[in-house]
Amino acid sequence: MDKLIEQSLHALLAREGLQPKEGDLEEFAKIIELYMGNLKTLHSIDLGAEEVAGVFRPEWTAK
Amino acid sequence: MAIPEKPLYYLSIHEAHELIQKRSLSPVELTRAVLDRIAAVDGKLHAYINLMADNALAEARTAEGEILRGNWRGPMHGIPVAVKDQLDVDGAPARIRQHTKGVGDATAVRKLREAGAIMMGKLHMSSLPDAELPVPRNPWNTEHITGGSSTGSGAAVSGGLCLGSLGEDTAGSIRNPSAFCGIVGLKATYGRVSRHGLAPLSWSLDHCGPMARAVEDVAHMLQAIAGHDSKDPTSSAAPVAEYASALREDVKGMIIGVPRDYINECAPRTEPVVLKLVDKAIEKLKSLGARIEEVKVPTLHLATIANAVIYYNEFWAAHKSDAALILKNGAAQRRARIYLGLLTGSADYIQAQRMRSRCREELAEVFRRVDCLALPNQAGPAPLVKDVGPIDTLFKHVVPEYHGPFNLTGLPTLSVPCGFSDSNLPIALQLVGKPFDELTVLRAGYTYQQNTAWHDQRPPI
Repeated sequence: MDKLIEQSLHALLAREGLQPKEGDLEEFAKIIELYMGNLKTLHSIDLGAEEVAGVFRPEWTAK
Repeated sequence: MAIPEKPLYYLSIHEAHELIQKRSLSPVELTRAVLDRIAAVDGKLHAYINLMADNALAEARTAEGEILRGNWRGPMHGIPVAVKDQLDVDGAPARIRQHTKGVGDATAVRKLREAGAIMMGKLHMSSLPDAELPVPRNPWNTEHITGGSSTGSGAAVSGGLCLGSLGEDTAGSIRNPSAFCGIVGLKATYGRVSRHGLAPLSWSLDHCGPMARAVEDVAHMLQAIAGHDSKDPTSSAAPVAEYASALREDVKGMIIGVPRDYINECAPRTEPVVLKLVDKAIEKLKSLGARIEEVKVPTLHLATIANAVIYYNEFWAAHKSDAALILKNGAAQRRARIYLGLLTGSADYIQAQRMRSRCREELAEVFRRVDCLALPNQAGPAPLVKDVGPIDTLFKHVVPEYHGPFNLTGLPTLSVPCGFSDSNLPIALQLVGKPFDELTVLRAGYTYQQNTAWHDQRPPI
């Protein structure tokens, strides 16, 4: 696995007080690298300044 | 009314309910036939993880008494069903939760009970923590997988171990086993069926829906479980249609869009037999009166990725409190989702949500011109059990494929059998509708089904 990704994952796990299961990072290296590449692809498309992710609406809705 | 020439456990819900309503078939007799079938073949299929035989027989006797007294509740009354483990059942909370409590009956389960269905038990699903549980096998060939994650539902419905099942779909988990096992599966519109009592994978992508052996059966099941639920904040108050009204053969004038560019994008990872049979199914719909129109959805190729980003990030958020337990003894798929969710930053999640808005707008534009979409539902026939690794499903979630885009956009999709591979494994067509327009996909699926015989084929188990 890419060293930077591996170090990032270790740091993120440590921040949460977690440890990877032994052997997991080697076993999952391929899917993790593919996924990280896809994150870059996702950002490669220009959605423009006005494409909103979700709209907060202040009105109250009855349950 | 004469009982059709087939074993009772292979009656469709529609056939069984007509017989039960006319008192030509007893719910107790039907439940016993299904229990006998489970005893005969579940040792090979491994669909059930918690068979509630005594409860089921007691419920069947109650149903029988009610019907004899003239209190027939509707098409699900006296029908043996089973549910994916992910849904809580009173006395049998979801094992997938590992340490969190269940809620008693999930709303969809409660509604099925109120409709008079007989609860047979809980079914296997991918990623259960119990590593010793055997993997469910495909009734069409037990060397092959059922598809997941509603693994047990696919095996049980296809093999005659229940007449219908509730599944759950976050990235294809109803449609995939439905396709692999040769049954019908409906992922209704997001919000159409309550998620209360469903162990979460991803709050904004999880869909609960019916799996059965015929289109009319999923229509009956959907009628029972659809509707607003104050216990699920994402549940929709949109009016519930009369789904039985979709059960007519009529696609004349219906405009069916085919996202050909997207199918071509997925084609290198799709076996030719799938493309061939889906094209034949689309031609069949055309011959029945539908108009076929090619459509373009420019960002569909990024929708699967956006779906995966939201899935894993929400999975991490939903399981932050039990992540240590999952990393210690959870299934490989769940451990991998924790790592991927952790690696997903807030800007990634927001970009995925923005992509979701864009994709929804593009699809809304397409649906101004068409009534539904038709496309494949799988990359190939069910693979061999021995060829599938513990996290192989995750690879499907991060390359353009046929399921994720419609979890991302929440649209109703129906999986309908449309043929068999050379090795006699089922292949399916996927029909996608407008938000809350389950009627159109049910009508298209029903018309196709009534003019083909694929759904009548039974596995050799």
